[in-house]
Amino acid sequence: MIEQSPVFIVVIPLIFACITPLIGWWKEELCYPWVIMALALSAFFSVITLNTVINTGVVHYYLGNWLPPWGIEYVIDYLNAPMPVLVSVIALLVAIYSRRSIEQEIPDKTVYFYTIFLLQVTGFLGIVITGDMFNLYVFLEIASLTGYALIAVGEEGAPLASFRYVIMGTIGASFYLLGVGYLYMATGSLNMADLAQLLPGLYGSRVVLVAFAFFMVGIAIKMALFPLHVWLPDAYTKAPSVTSALLAPLMTKVSIYVMIRILFTVFSPDFSVLRTHAADIMVWTGIVAIFAGAVMALAQTDFKRMLCYIIVAEVGYMVGGVGLANSVAMKGAILHIINDAVMTLGVFAVAGIVCYRMKSHNISDFKALFKKMPFTMAAFVVAALSMIGVPPTCGFFSKWYLIQGAVIAGSWTFVVALLVSSLINVILFFRIFEIGYVFHEGHEIQAHGDETSVIEEAPLSMLVPTMTVAAGIILIGLYNQPILTSVIRFAVPNL
Amino acid sequence: MIVTGAVLIYGTVDMPGWGDPDSPASRHVSPQYITEAMEKTATPNMVTAVLADYRGYDTLGETTVIFSAGMVCILLLRRKRNRHD
Amino acid sequence: MIDFIVSKYNYWIYIVLMMIGFYAMIGKRNLIKKIIGMNIFQTATILFYVSIGCKKGGDLPILEHAHGHAEHAVAVSAYINPLPHVLMLTAIVVMVATLGVALAIAIMIYRKYNTLEEDEILEAMK
Repeated sequence: MIEQSPVFIVVIPLIFACITPLIGWWKEELCYPWVIMALALSAFFSVITLNTVINTGVVHYYLGNWLPPWGIEYVIDYLNAPMPVLVSVIALLVAIYSRRSIEQEIPDKTVYFYTIFLLQVTGFLGIVITGDMFNLYVFLEIASLTGYALIAVGEEGAPLASFRYVIMGTIGASFYLLGVGYLYMATGSLNMADLAQLLPGLYGSRVVLVAFAFFMVGIAIKMALFPLHVWLPDAYTKAPSVTSALLAPLMTKVSIYVMIRILFTVFSPDFSVLRTHAADIMVWTGIVAIFAGAVMALAQTDFKRMLCYIIVAEVGYMVGGVGLANSVAMKGAILHIINDAVMTLGVFAVAGIVCYRMKSHNISDFKALFKKMPFTMAAFVVAALSMIGVPPTCGFFSKWYLIQGAVIAGSWTFVVALLVSSLINVILFFRIFEIGYVFHEGHEIQAHGDETSVIEEAPLSMLVPTMTVAAGIILIGLYNQPILTSVIRFAVPNL
Repeated sequence: MIVTGAVLIYGTVDMPGWGDPDSPASRHVSPQYITEAMEKTATPNMVTAVLADYRGYDTLGETTVIFSAGMVCILLLRRKRNRHD
Repeated sequence: MIDFIVSKYNYWIYIVLMMIGFYAMIGKRNLIKKIIGMNIFQTATILFYVSIGCKKGGDLPILEHAHGHAEHAVAVSAYINPLPHVLMLTAIVVMVATLGVALAIAIMIYRKYNTLEEDEILEAMK
């Protein structure tokens, strides 16, 4: 059983997703516990796999017992190992959180929504665990297609936002496929480890260079790196709250994982850093992304849109951190993948709760919420402090490593960008704190269009996951040393 | 867009010619598919052997893509059944 | 120079197709034209992959009269490479699924705004 756990991580949500419509036709209320059971099992197997990797080293799993490169293999090494745990735990928390929100926003299609939810999580899990380039493309497309659908059932204007995402996302995935094709033409293999052995002899070939360029651009579209980020604000703002809470932490971070995988495992660091100067380009793109995201976030009045621009800035941190190409910065970037996923889940979960009670997500909706929803706002404060980078929350530690790495590499512009964006985050979040605290006179705050409802604390099924995420933010911050030494330290390639 | 075209043309310079039997794509992995397909999988059609046996997991993923596209269409397009006005 | 162009003419075809599709996707304002452009773009990628696997004088990768004749060896150069065909079967399925999802979203937009021109939709949304 334990040896089969890598494949269980992906296959269990898949099988459960196929059975969900049948359960929905039989009895609609059973869908919700079914989804939770699927994700709980998947999280369980991910933790077992993480444990196996920490204790015994890299895990290879041959699908169908065909040896690579003739068959497909799953490779779980130190870079890979925390990712399925991250994806499945975040998905589990969002699934617990989702029930009330979905009843309010998409009342008559909950069965199909949950089916596509499970398929989306299957897609992400398949991406992070595979060791074969074409398999990654197949699961990337599963994740993308279900993402387009989950966004399109949102509020006013969501279908057009989703359509724009369809066009840009398909360009990105097709560029990735084209890159795989060029590499196949040059080497004849599709397996990542095999390519890592075959490619060093071929670095002079233009085909390999063009393949590298296509990979980078395709992944940059999926990752919302600065000039190619235009699909993100509209799509995540107009999506339903559950979709934003699921996709925002995961889609961009999984794409960054794919980028690190391609940069350092398939193409060796020698090629990526020295021969193509891709690393320098990445640092500059990261700096521009940080500034652009921070400045545009200041101009927003809609809470979710502001968070979307903060995501663009966070992607800039990670891309710049990877581009700095020394081991401290890489540690910071990989740690930031985990931290940013959890922080983003925290803020989007709070946004969803506010949207559930107040029926809209404008910043002015936060009036007097500190008194009416104390626990939700406490979780929000923790997540906001983590985005700013205050110890002992996890955001502080990853920023600390990134700044250290930037100082070692001598890239002072990056240090300035990090500090300026932290200051801008302070302004953004304290603005909301002020609105929440100041207006607490006696008048009743009412939801838009609803004269008789009284704003009270969030329902328990939405509150418990949010508080768990807040607790997680602090715990990951306190325990970041064990995480670094047991897992991330081995994931950093030799630079 | 011009940049993409230029990059593509630049990449064509080093590519192996059309129909070249010595290209790396035909030398590394696929000879074994061709020679061993019959004995290991008992399927005369080599494409099926690779699709369903060596790379059967990709086929499972592809089936999932179709399934999710079907679910997506139901999710997006189904109207409420009782429209009283 | 001529030899360079002529010997690789399959690649030029795919580059031209891909540029047409790419231009349609980003340059046109009608949603259906964008979807058609997406389709052409993905078809060009499929054409590229299939043309990688060809061999001069090679036959389709299906063994004839194979049952019961398992003894005689199979010459590798007599059959073309089966792997790109396999990858492209999957890619064609993915392409059709993406087309279906894009069209479903276009139907949703049409039901709401009664037009498929992007400018008019943006006007109606204000």
